[in-house]
Amino acid sequence: MMRYLLFVLLFLLVPAQVFSFGEKLKRPKAQDFGNVVINSYSEAKGEAAVMFPHWLHRAKFTCRLCHVDLGFAMQAGGTDITEADNEAGLFCGSCHNNKISFGPLIDHPALGKIRQCERCHSVGKQIKMKNDFREFRRQMPRERFGNGIDWMAAEDQGKIKLVDYLEGISIKRKEFKKPEDFKLTSAEQKMPQIIFSHERHAVWNGCETCHPEIFPVKKGAQPYSMQDIFAGKYCGACHDKVAFPNIDCQRCHTDSVY
Amino acid sequence: MNFCRNLLLALILGGCCTLNAFAYYHLPRLPPPDQYGDVVMDRVSSAAGEKAVVFSHWSHRSRYSCRVCHFELNFELKAGETEISEEENRDGDFCGACHDGRRAFGHTEEHCGKCHTGPLVDRYKAFSALQNRLPRSRFGNRIDWAAAQQQGLIEPLFSLFRAAEQPMPFDKRLVLMAEWNWVPPAVFDHAAHNPWLDCANCHPDIFNIQKKTTKHFLMEFILKKKFCGVCHFSVALPIDDCHACHPAMKK
Repeated sequence: MMRYLLFVLLFLLVPAQVFSFGEKLKRPKAQDFGNVVINSYSEAKGEAAVMFPHWLHRAKFTCRLCHVDLGFAMQAGGTDITEADNEAGLFCGSCHNNKISFGPLIDHPALGKIRQCERCHSVGKQIKMKNDFREFRRQMPRERFGNGIDWMAAEDQGKIKLVDYLEGISIKRKEFKKPEDFKLTSAEQKMPQIIFSHERHAVWNGCETCHPEIFPVKKGAQPYSMQDIFAGKYCGACHDKVAFPNIDCQRCHTDSVY
Repeated sequence: MNFCRNLLLALILGGCCTLNAFAYYHLPRLPPPDQYGDVVMDRVSSAAGEKAVVFSHWSHRSRYSCRVCHFELNFELKAGETEISEEENRDGDFCGACHDGRRAFGHTEEHCGKCHTGPLVDRYKAFSALQNRLPRSRFGNRIDWAAAQQQGLIEPLFSLFRAAEQPMPFDKRLVLMAEWNWVPPAVFDHAAHNPWLDCANCHPDIFNIQKKTTKHFLMEFILKKKFCGVCHFSVALPIDDCHACHPAMKK
């Protein structure tokens, strides 16, 4: 008898698990948008994983500096950082070396040497960050999505000044020559065209963040769809993860209907 | 052999139960028109010694499009899921984006009781005053919100952040064939939804954007508050009005 019941239960439970469609997914809160958990080796070595706050770093540095000059991958866990790398001055260690920013061990004038591990290895711990998100955001122009900060306006207004050069690591580059904006036509009829601004992107990314890996340099060489973007490819490599999310349709689809 | 017999019996038994559940589906009883769409928010209020919040959808949707709160302000579509805190409200997030003492009453001591009312609150007088000046419908708030907006009797704000933003000109009309051949097709009009919603309210989470690949987009799942049922059970024109979506169906 019990066996019958078990089978009946199983039969009834299967559809409930399979059909979880047609619902809205939860979006991250403003303070969590862009945060990345880095756990290549941490937990395996008995250390808490790293919670990397994108908002705090993008308020000071260009995307290009970390993702090109320092060689950070565009996907969490893709960089394969080790503590030895950091200590050798690579990746996080390029700045977190007690010169540009705090290192693993700081020399406090009163308390002597203090380990700083928990400032980054903070996942699952109640660590109060030195830089408070809400306090920072109150100084910034507001925007409706992502961190709730209009990063481009913040930059235009001089409220953030982005460092794009690290001595000893970056190379001196020529003044950036602006390529022209261009239009992308949607395959869907009556969908407004996209106007892509190279100028807007180049301030943060240079050329190398996107070309030639994410986008080939030859125009039209690689057609891509909105589904690809939703799946995290092409524009979706940054937008939805760190840059403003894909839900802001009208920010890209700005042109009139063709 | 014994296993096969058991499995077959279980399939038949289980199948009967499932079929019964669908065959005798009862639509939930609708609340009175002045309470349709009301949401009780009590994720942390009661626990913190404060009365629960009763959020009245009708009073907000007469002034704001769905899009302002559920798209620009990131309110989730299920009660209690948004994790709103008083601190965030005071910082201009969620309710605090409007309830800041300028656009609407603020988060100051004297106003607490306006939202933290506890679950029992009678807003009938204000509701009927609104209802009386708007076209009627048969279900829900018994207000034809779409007609009210089209006739300019209400002007729900489209964007809190960008004054120039207009609804997308995407007006594609979809004729969706029903699973049962004696049910006339449902007609979905993008243009009717556009003044209230943003593309991203529905796409790609609730309805993916690939053509004809929205899996299990069937009435039985809509009845389980998925797809159209996400809104059309709790706030939008309730599911009771078959004719509204299946226009060829007799009233």
